[in-house]
Amino acid sequence: MDDYAIGVLTNIGLVSFLALSAYLLLVAGEMSFGQQAFFGVGAYAGGILTAMYGWPLPLAALAAMTLGALAQLLVGLPTLRLRGLYFAMATLASAEMMRILFELLHFQRVVDGDAVGPDGTQGFRGIRWVFEHGVEPIEYLAIVYALLALALAGFLRLERSRLGATLRGVGEDAELAAVLGVDVTRCKLGVAAAAGALAALGGVLFAHHNTYVEPRNFDIMLGVHSLAYALIGGLGTALGPLLGVVLDIGALEGSRVFQGYRMIVFGGLVALLLVWRPRGLLDERTVQWLKQRFS
Amino acid sequence: MIDLAQNTLDGLFLGSSYALLALGFTLIFGVLRRVNLSYGPAIMLGCYAATWAHLSFGAGLLALAAIAVLCTTLAGAYVERLCFAPHRQSSAIAAMVASFALWMQLEELATLALPRHIYDFPPLYAGAPLDFWGLSLRVESLVMLGAAIAVCALLWWILYRARFGIAVRAVIDQPNAAQLAGISVPRTFMLTFAMASAIGGLAGFLIAASHEQVTPMLGMWSTLKGLLAMMLGGLGSLPGAVAGGLALGLLEAHSQWFLGPQARDLIAYALLFLLLAARVPWMTTRSAS
Amino acid sequence: MAQAALFLILCLVPALASAQAPKADLACKATGADFVYDCTIRLSRGGKPLVGATVTIGADMPSMPMAHNVKPVKAQAGQAPGEYRAQLDLEMLGVWAVKLRLAGPVRDQLILHYEFDSKGATPAQPTRHAPAMKH
Repeated sequence: MDDYAIGVLTNIGLVSFLALSAYLLLVAGEMSFGQQAFFGVGAYAGGILTAMYGWPLPLAALAAMTLGALAQLLVGLPTLRLRGLYFAMATLASAEMMRILFELLHFQRVVDGDAVGPDGTQGFRGIRWVFEHGVEPIEYLAIVYALLALALAGFLRLERSRLGATLRGVGEDAELAAVLGVDVTRCKLGVAAAAGALAALGGVLFAHHNTYVEPRNFDIMLGVHSLAYALIGGLGTALGPLLGVVLDIGALEGSRVFQGYRMIVFGGLVALLLVWRPRGLLDERTVQWLKQRFS
Repeated sequence: MIDLAQNTLDGLFLGSSYALLALGFTLIFGVLRRVNLSYGPAIMLGCYAATWAHLSFGAGLLALAAIAVLCTTLAGAYVERLCFAPHRQSSAIAAMVASFALWMQLEELATLALPRHIYDFPPLYAGAPLDFWGLSLRVESLVMLGAAIAVCALLWWILYRARFGIAVRAVIDQPNAAQLAGISVPRTFMLTFAMASAIGGLAGFLIAASHEQVTPMLGMWSTLKGLLAMMLGGLGSLPGAVAGGLALGLLEAHSQWFLGPQARDLIAYALLFLLLAARVPWMTTRSAS
Repeated sequence: MAQAALFLILCLVPALASAQAPKADLACKATGADFVYDCTIRLSRGGKPLVGATVTIGADMPSMPMAHNVKPVKAQAGQAPGEYRAQLDLEMLGVWAVKLRLAGPVRDQLILHYEFDSKGATPAQPTRHAPAMKH
C-alpha cells in the first residue's frame, strides 16, 4: 500500500472519531457545532505531554481524553437546558472561544536544544513521537483503526443495551423520558463526557500523525463537516457517521477525476440525497430493515 | 473621550453591516423556522459575480450592485428549491445539512471562477472621510447605516402594510390555517427567501464596496456575523436583528480598540455564550429546533 | 572510568540531538498548468547540506487539515548537495502547509507554510482565521 493510500485511510480514521463524537450527541438529542474544539484540546494536550515532557503516547492519550471530557462538561453544564439551535450556537461560540485561546497559547520548553511547544498562531511543531519510536505509517494506521474498532465495539454494545435505548429516548423526547423516570441530566452529562473524550482521542492521534497542529486546524469547518458526516451517513447506527466520512474523504479523494470540483459534485449529491433520505443513509428505518433482513 | 465617541461611531457603522446580514437570516428563520447555512456563501457568490463583472467590463457601481443582488437572489432561489422546499413539512435538520452541503458547493463555484485570495472592489465613495467635530465619518459607513434603516423600514412596511405581508404573518403564526385560507405556503416561503437573499446581496455589495476588497472568507464571515447578530438580538425578531447587529458592532469596535482583535472575537463569543447559558428571555423564547 | 565516559557521552547526546534537527527551505515556480509548481527543496542539518535523504513532499490546507490532501510526491535529488526537486500539484491558490517527510539519514517531518499564487510561493506566517477587514 503506498504512502498516499495509508495517509487517506489514516485521515478517514481520525475524522471518524470526530464524527462519532457528534453522532453520540445527536442520538441524545443535541446538535453540536463545536466538537472540533475538543479534538483540538486532545491534540494540544497529547502533543504537549509527549513532545515537551516525554510522556509515552498511551498515557498522554488517556490524559488528553480526560481533559477532553472535562472540557466538554465545562461547556455542557451551563447549556443543559438549551435546545436545538440555541444549544448549537452555544457550542459554536464556545468552540471558537477555545480556538482563540489556542491562538493565545504560548507555552514552550527547551527540549534537546530546541524550543518545543505551542506558539500561538505559529502552531505547535515537532510532535515527533512517531519518529522517536520508529513507528511506520502503516503501524500508526493499525493503531488508529484498532482504537476506532474499540470505540465502535463500545457503540454497538451500547445500542443493544438498555442504556442505549434510554439515550435514544432522551434524544427523541426528553420530557417524556423524564416523566418515565430517567435522570435526563445525568444522561446528558454522561454523553457529553463520552463525546468529549472521543473527540479528544481523535485529536491526540491527529497531532501525532501530523507532527504539527495549529489553531486553524480546529475551525468551524471541521466541526460542521463532522456533524454533516453523522447526519448524512445516518443516525440509525454508529456505522452511519463512518459511512459519511468514507463517502466524503474516501470516495471522492480516491477518484481524482473530480479534482477541483469535488465539493461542487459532493455538495449537490448530498443535498439531493437528503431529499430522498432526510435522516441520512443508515437511518433508523433502514437499520431496522437490515436487521430484519439479516437476522 | 474622543476615542470613545469615535469607537462608538465606528461600532454603529460596523454594526449596520451586521444588521443587514442578520435581517436576512432572521427573515428566513422567522418565516421558515429554518437556519440557512448557505446564506453567506450565496452573498459571496453575488459579490464574486459583481467582481467578475467589474474585472471583465469595468461595470459601474450601480450595475455592480444590481448584479450582486440579482446573483445572490438566484443563488438563494437555488438553495431554497433544493434544500428547503423539499423538507418544508419534515425535518429541519435535513434542510440545514443540505444548506451546509450547498455552502460548500457555492463556495467552490466562486473560488473556481476567481481563484485568487484577494480581489479589489471599486470603492463606494472615493473621497476622504468627513470631519465632524473631530470625529471621522466615512461616507460609506453612513450609506451602510442608511441602508440598514431603510431595509428595516421597508420590511416593516411590507409585513404590516402590504398584502403580501399579511400572508407572511399568517404563515408565521398559523401555517395550516393559512394554507386552508388559500394562501400558498410554498410560494410565501419562496418569496420570503428571495427577499432575504436580495437583502443579503445588497449587504454583500455594500460590504465589498466599503472595504474595497473581496476575499474567499466572505462566505464564512457573513454567516458567522449574521448568526451571531441574530442570536444576540433575539431569534426571529426583525428589530432584534438590527439591534443585535448594532450591539455586536459596538462591542467589537470597543473591544478591538482596548484589547486587540483576538479579544474582540473572544468577547463577542463569550457574551453570546453567557447570554444563552443564562437563558435570557428575549433570546430564548422562540422555538428553534 | 567507565562511569566518567558514560557521563561524557550522555552530556554529548543532547548536543548531538540539537545539531541533528533538519531545516528546510522551499522555492517554487508556477508552471503553466493550473496550480502545478516546480519546487526546489534545500535541506540542511547542523548548518551543512543534508544529502542522501528520501524526501516526500505533500501539502495540506490548514483550515481543512484532512480534506484537501495533495498526493505526496517523492522528490528527486537536485544538482547541488542538499537540493531536491519535485512537482507539486495543488488544488487551489492560497496558504498551504507544505509537508516534507524525510527518511534515510534522518527521519522527520517538517511543516512549512507557504503562500502559493499565480507566480510561485512565498513564505507565509500562519495567520488568524478571521479575515482582515479594513476599518
